Amino acid sequence: MSDKAIGTYVRPEFEVDTLKEATNVDVERQLSLVERISNINAVRKMSILLGLVILWQGYTMIAQPEPLLFPSFVSSAEVLWETIVSGEMFQKVWVSLYVLLLGYAAGLAMAALFLVLAVSTRIGSDFLSTMTAMFQPLPAISLLPLAMLWFGLGIPSLVFVTIHSVLWAVALSTHVGFMGVSETLRMVGRNYGLRNIPYILKILVPAAFPAILIGLKIGWAFAWRTLIGAELVFGAAAGKGGLGWMIFEKGDNLDTPYVFAALFMVILVGLIVENVIFRNIELNTISKWGMQR
Amino acid sequence: MADVKAISLYIRPEFENPAVEKAVVGDIERRLSVWERVSNMDPVRKFTVLVVLVVAWELYTRLGSINELMFPTFSKTFAALIDALVNAGLLINIWNSLSLLVTGYVIGISIAAVLVVLGVWTRFGSDLLTTLTAMLNPLPAIALLPLAMIWFGLGNQAVIFTLLHSIIWPVALNTHAGFQSVSETMRMVGRNYGLKGLPYICKILIPAAFPSILTGLRIGWAFAWRTLIAAELVFGGQVMDTSGQLGAEGGSAGGLGWIIFQNQMENQTPYVFAGLFTVIIVGIVIENGLFRNVEDRTIRKWGMQQS
Repeated sequence: MSDKAIGTYVRPEFEVDTLKEATNVDVERQLSLVERISNINAVRKMSILLGLVILWQGYTMIAQPEPLLFPSFVSSAEVLWETIVSGEMFQKVWVSLYVLLLGYAAGLAMAALFLVLAVSTRIGSDFLSTMTAMFQPLPAISLLPLAMLWFGLGIPSLVFVTIHSVLWAVALSTHVGFMGVSETLRMVGRNYGLRNIPYILKILVPAAFPAILIGLKIGWAFAWRTLIGAELVFGAAAGKGGLGWMIFEKGDNLDTPYVFAALFMVILVGLIVENVIFRNIELNTISKWGMQR
Repeated sequence: MADVKAISLYIRPEFENPAVEKAVVGDIERRLSVWERVSNMDPVRKFTVLVVLVVAWELYTRLGSINELMFPTFSKTFAALIDALVNAGLLINIWNSLSLLVTGYVIGISIAAVLVVLGVWTRFGSDLLTTLTAMLNPLPAIALLPLAMIWFGLGNQAVIFTLLHSIIWPVALNTHAGFQSVSETMRMVGRNYGLKGLPYICKILIPAAFPSILTGLRIGWAFAWRTLIAAELVFGGQVMDTSGQLGAEGGSAGGLGWIIFQNQMENQTPYVFAGLFTVIIVGIVIENGLFRNVEDRTIRKWGMQQS
C-alpha cells in the first residue's frame, strides 16, 4: 500500500455582488385574439380541412389535369349533393349497410354460441382456440370465390364472407378477455350460485367488456373492408349495387367525380359508426364503469 | 306516540350435536393416470381437434355424395396442395404476393414515420396528422383500387398504392396515440439528458410507446394482407373483363389471390382450397412467427406486457 496524502479541497471564499432585480416578463397577460382562436382545436382542424380542399381545387384549376383522371373538388361535391338529393346515394348506402348488419348480427350470434361452449367445457375451449388460430389469419375476402361457388352471385355470398370476417375477430378477442377475468370476480359469481348463462352474462361479460368492445370494433373494421372489397369483386363478375359496386362501376365508366363522391360517403359511414356508435357505447359502458380513463 | 310494541327476544333453543363423524377425505394426492396426463397436454388436445375436423370433412364429402366441384375431399385437397407446390410453382405465387406486400409495408412505414415525426415536432404537424388519420383511417383501402387503376393502370403500382393506404393510417394513428401517452416523467428524463429532435424520439418516445407501435404494425399488416388478397381478386375479375381470357399478363397476375380466383374460374376447387391453406399458413407464420418473436424480444423482455 502506498501512502498517498489526501489533500482536502478548500473552496476559496467569495462574495457575490448585490444581485440585480430580476426582470419578469409577462407573468400574466391576456392572450391576443389570434392566439385565443388558434388555441381552439376545432378551429385548427377545420382550417386544415379547408386548406386541403383549397389545395385540391387550386391544383385542378391551375394544373388542369384531365378531369376524367382527377376531377376538381367542386365537381365532386356537386355530384355528391346531386346523388344525395336524388336519393340514389342513400339507397346504395342502405344496400351496403343492410348486408353488413345481416352479416354482423349473424357473426355475433355464432361467436356467442362458440363462446358459451368454450366457457362451459374444456373441449369447447380447445375447439374455439384451434378454429380462431386457423381462421383469424385468413382474409375473409379470399373465401369469396368459394362462396360464389356455393351460394351463387348475390347477397348470401356477401353475408357469408361478412360473417367470416366478424366471427373470428370477435370470438378471439372475447375469449382472451374471458380468460383474463380475475379469479376474485369468478369466485364472487360462484359464491352467488351463478352458473352457465347467468354466470357468463353477469360476471364474465361485464368484466371482459373492454376486450369485447375491442373485438367488436376490429370485427366492424374487417367487415366493412371485406364488404367493400367483395362488392368490388362482384362488380367484376355480376352486379348488385352497394357502395363498393358504385365505386367500381363509376370507375369503370370513368365517371371519376362519382367515384370521389362514393369514397366520401364511405368515409362518412365509417366516421359515424366509429365516432358516434362505438364512442357512445364506450362512454355508456366502460368509461362509466371506470374501466377505462 | 301511539302504541308501544313489546319486543320479545328470540331465544335460541339449546341443542347438542351427536358425535360428528370422521370426515371422509378422498385422494389428497395421487398419480394421474396416463390418459389424464396425455389429455392435459395442450398441443395433444388441439391436434386431436384438428384431426377430428379433418376426418369429419373427409367422411362428409365421401359419404354425403357431395359434388366434387362444390366441396372436394380432404385427400384431394392435400394432393392438390402438394401438386401445386411441386409442379405449379405455388412458391413463386407466394413470393409474388409477399414481395409486393413487403415493398408496400416498408414504404408505408417510412411515410408514416415522417408524418409522426412532423406530428411530434410541431403543433401544425400534429393537427395535420390527426385530421388526416381521422378522415382516412375509416376508409377501406380497397375502395381506392378503382381510382388507383385509373391513375396507374393495371399493375403493381396500383396495388402498392392501395397497400400504402392500408398501412400508413393505422400505423401513424397508433404510434401518435402511443407517443402522446408517454408519461411526463420519461419525457423530462429525456430532456434532462439534453435529448432533442430525432435522438429524443428514438431513445425516449419509441421505447416508451413500443406496445402501441407494435399494435399499429400488427393492424397494418392485417389490413395490408387482406387488401392485397382482395386487390388480386379484383384484378382477376378486371383482367377477365377486358381481355376475355384467363392467365393474362396484367402485372399482379401471379399472387395468391390471383391463384384462388383463377382456379375457381377453371372449376378446380381442390386447388382453391389449397390456395386458401397457403394463405392461412403464410398468415400464421407471419403473425405467430414474426410478430410473436418481435414481441418476445422487446416489450415482453422489457416487462411492458405480461404473460
